[in-house]
Amino acid sequence: MLSTTLAGLRAHLPRLVAATLAVVIATAFVAATLVLNETARATLLRAAGAQYVGADAVVTARDGGSLAGDVATLTALPGVAAVDPTATADVQAALPGRSAAYLQVGSVAADPELRWQRVTAGALPDRPGELALGLPTDAEVGDVVAVSVLDPATGDVTATAEATVTGLVDLAGDPAAGVYAHGYAVPAQVSAWGATDPTELRVAAAPGTDPAGLVATVAAALDGRDVTVSTGEEAAASAVAYVTGNRLALTAVLLVFATVAVLVAGLVIANTLAVLVAQRTRDLALLRCVGATSRQVRRSVLAEAAVTGLVASTVGVGAGIGLAAVVSALVGTDSPIPLEGVTVPLYAVAAGLAVGTLTTLVAALGPARAATRVAPLAALRPADPAPLRSRGGLLRFATGLVLVLGGSALMALGVVMAQIYPALAGGAASFLGVVLLAQRAVPPVVAAAGRALGRAGGLPGRLAAGNASRNPRRTAATATALLIGVTLTTAMVVGAASTRATAQAGLDSAYPADVEIGAYGELPSSLLPQLEEVDGVAGGTALAGADLTGPDGQPTWVQGVDPADAGAVLRSTADLPLPALGEVVLPPWAAEVWSVRDGDEVTLTAGANSRTLTATVGGDASTPLLYAADLRGLVPDAPAATLWLRLADGDGQRDAIAEVTELTGAAAPDAYVTGLASERAAIDQVLDAMLLVVTGLLGVAVLIALIGVGNTLALSVVERRQENGLLRALGLTRGQMRGLLAWEALLVAGVAAVLGVLVGGAYGLIGTASLLGGQDVVVVDVPWVQVGGIVVVATVAGLLASVLPARRAARTAPVAAIAAV
Amino acid sequence: MSVPVMTVPGEPPAPVSSAAVRATGLTKVYGSGETAVHALAGVDVTFERGGFTAIMGPSGSGKSTLMHCLAGLDAATSGQVWLGGTELTRLRDDQLTRLRRERIGFVFQAFNLLPVLDARENIVLPMQLAGRRPDPAWFDAVVARLGLRERLRHRPSELSGGQQQRVAIARALLPRPDVVFADEPTGNLDSRAGAEVLDLLRSSVRETGQTVVMVTHDPTAASYADRVVLLADGRPAGEIDRPTAASVLEALRGLGG
Repeated sequence: MLSTTLAGLRAHLPRLVAATLAVVIATAFVAATLVLNETARATLLRAAGAQYVGADAVVTARDGGSLAGDVATLTALPGVAAVDPTATADVQAALPGRSAAYLQVGSVAADPELRWQRVTAGALPDRPGELALGLPTDAEVGDVVAVSVLDPATGDVTATAEATVTGLVDLAGDPAAGVYAHGYAVPAQVSAWGATDPTELRVAAAPGTDPAGLVATVAAALDGRDVTVSTGEEAAASAVAYVTGNRLALTAVLLVFATVAVLVAGLVIANTLAVLVAQRTRDLALLRCVGATSRQVRRSVLAEAAVTGLVASTVGVGAGIGLAAVVSALVGTDSPIPLEGVTVPLYAVAAGLAVGTLTTLVAALGPARAATRVAPLAALRPADPAPLRSRGGLLRFATGLVLVLGGSALMALGVVMAQIYPALAGGAASFLGVVLLAQRAVPPVVAAAGRALGRAGGLPGRLAAGNASRNPRRTAATATALLIGVTLTTAMVVGAASTRATAQAGLDSAYPADVEIGAYGELPSSLLPQLEEVDGVAGGTALAGADLTGPDGQPTWVQGVDPADAGAVLRSTADLPLPALGEVVLPPWAAEVWSVRDGDEVTLTAGANSRTLTATVGGDASTPLLYAADLRGLVPDAPAATLWLRLADGDGQRDAIAEVTELTGAAAPDAYVTGLASERAAIDQVLDAMLLVVTGLLGVAVLIALIGVGNTLALSVVERRQENGLLRALGLTRGQMRGLLAWEALLVAGVAAVLGVLVGGAYGLIGTASLLGGQDVVVVDVPWVQVGGIVVVATVAGLLASVLPARRAARTAPVAAIAAV
Repeated sequence: MSVPVMTVPGEPPAPVSSAAVRATGLTKVYGSGETAVHALAGVDVTFERGGFTAIMGPSGSGKSTLMHCLAGLDAATSGQVWLGGTELTRLRDDQLTRLRRERIGFVFQAFNLLPVLDARENIVLPMQLAGRRPDPAWFDAVVARLGLRERLRHRPSELSGGQQQRVAIARALLPRPDVVFADEPTGNLDSRAGAEVLDLLRSSVRETGQTVVMVTHDPTAASYADRVVLLADGRPAGEIDRPTAASVLEALRGLGG
């Protein structure tokens, strides 16, 4: 029987290519997801956990107490080669011509074994007065950095020093690298700059010492102390866990898509094998005639599926690893999810193979059962395509209904509670229900659409409508494959658009100014015109600042703003109300200090001048805001204290901020520049990347579903050979025959696309509402163009899928109707 | 319907005769070289207008192949087939398809009707494919003669075998084709339904002058025809005028069938 199976495989290779492709794509997706996940973990381990990976044991004080006294104890232990107390100091550092910024300076281990920094230029410092800087930085080797040592309690500058940059350290892959600047100096220098006592010791083992044994030895030596002793790997892993929350969520999302790909592939494989069995009805019947039992026939079909599945998933796993390598190379280390090379865990390979093969086998169960029902006599009499009757339909219907209703209730709960988890669970359950119900729901919709088509599309349209609703079960299976892809894509597109709109609205109100420049003293009046000249700066306004005496008799720093100017510069005044003439906008803290309520009168004085203003309490401003003219009335020469800039939308924002920072640093060395423009751009980048992934998914889902639509039509062509022959004999031209198949494909694909967009749109909106329900404003945004695009792409894909089967049908000889008798 | 007479330069003009269908030197070879099978080995045959002719012969005599070639369903290897003044053997696939739906009617043994269409839709199918509207009076007459008035809204699966064949005959007659080809039209029917179908075919010849060519292996069915053309080993093997079941059986026995 095996030889028959293999001969069958060879004979039906072209058709199997379609099924194989579906398995390959789905398996590749699963494997790529797992490999990328592992790669991201390994990359982070090397980067975020870099200082621990090289150590053999790490001692951490649980209570944050000093471990300085233990260095000597541990160094004396047998098997210990070196002990490095990790010390850090927080300083302000300024590059030549730049304003000062926070710099965290860590100590460079004395023992080369424990030096983990990857130096890309120069060398690590080996004496006080030297400094290595972590990338990214604008500094170059040889630059002299001005360092201000701060008092940890007050933040006042207690000393200043200079340090020469000796080297640059590659921190690529460390998510903390971009957040603040990192520097490295010898331990003596770090403690001179105010390092606190070490709370962490890294231990290197002497050659030939077992790390596990070393951990035990160290732990025993520190028995009774409140410390954690772990291996370097463990310490690295927990350091990574600290920064990887989001990445795990992303993996979960990708795995959900992988599951979807597998599900769609399963449906396609089931359809493809059904085609194969139908095509071979006579072969199988002949096998039965010459003595094959139905068990042998079933085994033959299942064996074919197993071989196909195994081969396809092997190819798929390979393709997935390749895909992961390409993604890793493209993403690189300079991204929110740094990737370096590929790490292929064994479980990814095993999971890919198992998922691909099992999916194929499970999908083959139905066709295998159909094959056993082929009667021996079928070989001897004309093929009679008996319509498949759906059994267990009621149970399926009831289960689907329960899942949809229960899932919808959970989703409603998620929206009300603004919790994503119940909504996710409800979404998964209800989607399963939708897939089950599709068997019932799709055929009537196709039939209804078909009636409309019959009126519009003439005779081929009417025939296509009849054909499409003739085998409801198969039509439903085909449509479902496409429905799943379209639903999820639409959900993601709508969800991403709404998330973007909501996040932007939130950012706009939380950070109304793109760039804010502040100073503790005054800003030169020439700075604003200078900055407004910068390429990419759309406009700006200056806020005057002065100390006024409030109702409590204490001097309070207030600022004056011109609402007309500021309104044009700010992106939103939702959380930053601007004062009108005679008004003062008080942040809640000021209202509390002054015991003022909304609408109360507030008298502010400056020297001999005094003004009584109406208080408006609210907003996120850091100081009370006055109308500019009111402030000038009190303090005529109040200097500019804050500048708000608005940047032009587009790509150049990063450059504009860099230039603004540079000009400001030159004009007012103690000024600070903050801004949300870069964060806004970062959010856009993340969402764009997400949408790109979604487009890729649409590609995968549509590709698999396209194969499914093609196969279903191919099956129809095989089954309706006589009918098509009759039509040809009665005068249907080849063109009309192709049109018939095209209409049929259009009908099924179009219905699936429209249903998918409706269901997916609902999911997208529900997901957004429950995920972002905690935000003040949830902005619902349905990107109609993209959604329309999805319908068009899915429908056209279905149409394309009909091309090959239609050619085959058009070639049906008119005598086929008679010759087969 | 007027039929344009096609002439070919350099050849004698097409004979305008009373022949509805005519074949000369018709051969059909399957395969090539050593394994070649001559299904038709040179057939000359003429079917007069308004005649009911049965083509008979033992299995493998080539009677079905002959019908396929005459009806433009299959291409002959050599020789010519004329439908009235049109030479079928010169037409391309699309021209043949159009000719079939406009000028030829078909009744097959089985699988005659499209399962997704009801009886009425099946009857008008060839005319709809051709983009023509059936003459309502003629439609009513055909439907009445075949006793299908009550069945027009039924799907094929709701009709008996005899009813299905009557729908097929109505479909074949509706466009008033030059010729109706029937391929074993009673093969799947019991004898009573078969007799009914044959009566209907004969009456359409008698009453409306329809030309009918029927392929059959059943001497009783053949006895309904005006004339029987016998075929053996892909060659004509005699004719019987005004056949009876007995005379046909006798002739067949002479062919060794």
